[in-house]
Amino acid sequence: MKILLVGMSHRTAPLAVRERLAVDDPEPQLRKLVTSDEIDEAVLLSTCNRIELVALTRNLDAARMRLQAFFRFELGGGDARPAAADLDAYLYEHTGSDAMRHVLRVASSLDSMVVGEPQILGQTKDAYRAAVDCGACGPILGRLFQHAFATAKRVRTETQVAARPVSVARVAVDLAEQIFENLADKRALLIGAGEMTEAALSALRERGLASVAIANRSPERAEPLAARFGARAHGLSELPRLLAEADVVLTSIAGDVPLLTPGLVSAALAGRKSRPLFVIDIGVPRNADPALDQLDNVYLYDLDDLCAIADLNAAERSRDVAKAEAIVEEQQQRFDGWLAALRAVPTIRHLRERAESLRAEEVERTLAKLPALEAQRAAVDALTRSLVNKILHAPVSRLRREAEREEGIVYLETARVLFALDEGAEVQDGTDGADPTDGT
Amino acid sequence: MAVADLQWAAAIYLIACLVSATGLVLRSRRLARAAVWLLGAGAVLHGLSVPLLHAQGAAPPLTSLSAAASFMAWVGTLCFLGSLLRVRVLGLVVLVAPAAFLGVFAAAMWLPAAGPASFGGSGSWPHAHVLLASAGLALLGLAGLASVLYLVEHHRLKAKAVTRRPFPLPSLEALDRVNATALAAGFTLLTLGVATGMLWMRAVSGRPFGGTAHEMGSLLAWAIYAVLAGLRFGGRQGSRQAAAAAVIAFGFLFFAVIGVELLA
Repeated sequence: MKILLVGMSHRTAPLAVRERLAVDDPEPQLRKLVTSDEIDEAVLLSTCNRIELVALTRNLDAARMRLQAFFRFELGGGDARPAAADLDAYLYEHTGSDAMRHVLRVASSLDSMVVGEPQILGQTKDAYRAAVDCGACGPILGRLFQHAFATAKRVRTETQVAARPVSVARVAVDLAEQIFENLADKRALLIGAGEMTEAALSALRERGLASVAIANRSPERAEPLAARFGARAHGLSELPRLLAEADVVLTSIAGDVPLLTPGLVSAALAGRKSRPLFVIDIGVPRNADPALDQLDNVYLYDLDDLCAIADLNAAERSRDVAKAEAIVEEQQQRFDGWLAALRAVPTIRHLRERAESLRAEEVERTLAKLPALEAQRAAVDALTRSLVNKILHAPVSRLRREAEREEGIVYLETARVLFALDEGAEVQDGTDGADPTDGT
Repeated sequence: MAVADLQWAAAIYLIACLVSATGLVLRSRRLARAAVWLLGAGAVLHGLSVPLLHAQGAAPPLTSLSAAASFMAWVGTLCFLGSLLRVRVLGLVVLVAPAAFLGVFAAAMWLPAAGPASFGGSGSWPHAHVLLASAGLALLGLAGLASVLYLVEHHRLKAKAVTRRPFPLPSLEALDRVNATALAAGFTLLTLGVATGMLWMRAVSGRPFGGTAHEMGSLLAWAIYAVLAGLRFGGRQGSRQAAAAAVIAFGFLFFAVIGVELLA
């Protein structure tokens, strides 16, 4: 049994290609895949940054061809699909341990465009659930994905990879959470519009920010943006009132002189008691007079401040990434061990069946000779079963341990010979997906 | 038995201190939570010692300085643990745990043996005075601790020395809420403590005011807090000024109530 992963991501394919192959509902595709002979289990992960198919197969070459054909001909629709020759340049492939490691890295957000971003774990869980629901995910890939989720949890709790925001928008949210206890009852004021202010506002909304007002030189032009955020658009003449009501101000408006002056903001603060005001100035040139920072209860951060924090976090995060990679490596080896231990399952099962059949035979023979013992059949059964279990315990445990190692096959072969397991029995050549911890 | 309980409580508070400090250094949210649980366990044990002390001694409970300090530490710890139900101030444990430890440690080391009562004829006033004043002091102490952290956080945010720290240091708004609530409750209790103290004095000496350094200092501290509460709740003080005032006022109150006794 081999694990094969074929896919494309933001590292190998442009967005224009990825968006054409993105899959909204993976279940029909997965059902089709697992009914083919080459694929036993499959999980399809499709996000805006990656489309990856993880498969379990007994025939690696055939599965490889099947998955390539899947990307070339079955993903995306009609003319929108990139030419097959182009597609090959965007695809990557991992097998065995590399594939496992890749899945663990993806779930842990180490392969994400923004390392540590939290969404990928949820997306991976959704992909896993969809595969389970349509019966495409069996015990081995199921175990791999469960292991990936556990790895992601370890990475999140044992390192700070996910804790340090490295985008300007996330830094702004993080700062807001250091100032305000709860964003759900706070009001934001967006002055002007820009990609970064909108991203920051979206991030604040994700964290529960209650309401938004938008102020612009021409309110009509701000209407579409206001509609998107469920807000109202206002003219700049309403700024004094809007400032007095706002808790967070995001500003990015063209102008040669600062729009937010100490006088304007001081007047707005007058009626607010001790409510703090967080001003995020992403305008270039700056929209807020730097003297605002001298006002009590006003926390002013301009683009340079936010970028400096983001850079510092990025530098610290890169140190954490090394720690996270070590966790992934350790977890991957653990999964490798589990997968290898599956080789022992048929032998152990066979050994137990053999011992049980001998035990039952001998009990029957003895009871036939000693009818007085018939009344104690249950006790005799329990005694003999306990003896068999105790005798087998050490060799079975050893077989399981050794099977996790490369050279463990020698022990399996030896056990089959010593206990004559292949005499008169058909040898099973593969795993049946059973957990190696079963049957202890 | 009561002293043994106090020693155990002091040990648990000390562990909570070390765990929270380690959490701060390692930036660990888990350690902050663990420190809070330890603080809770210490508070339970600490709480058991209060009725035991009361049962053991002929002297009214808490009327010694160290017993009162221990009681303040206990009330302060309970108020902090209670505030966690309403406000996200988990990180305040880095200051509350050391304060709790110092209060109990002082009591465990210097708690006097029970002696004969010296408050004959004064009824329950000593109890009421010490209980109310100590609880007030504990709450105002909690306001002071929240304010210290507020000032540190305010300075950090103003200086832009901000990176994401998973150790859950509270937000400015949460610290300000704790400061305001503790000030309101603490000032009320302190007022009642001062009033019962006067009634106690009158029961003992026939005059409500004896003119001792403790009484003068306490009255002055109460007046300072009265002004502070007026400014705060009258909306004439920003959060930073309120935090700075809470720290200074508590320093003065602590000196007036505890420091004067120690110097005497």
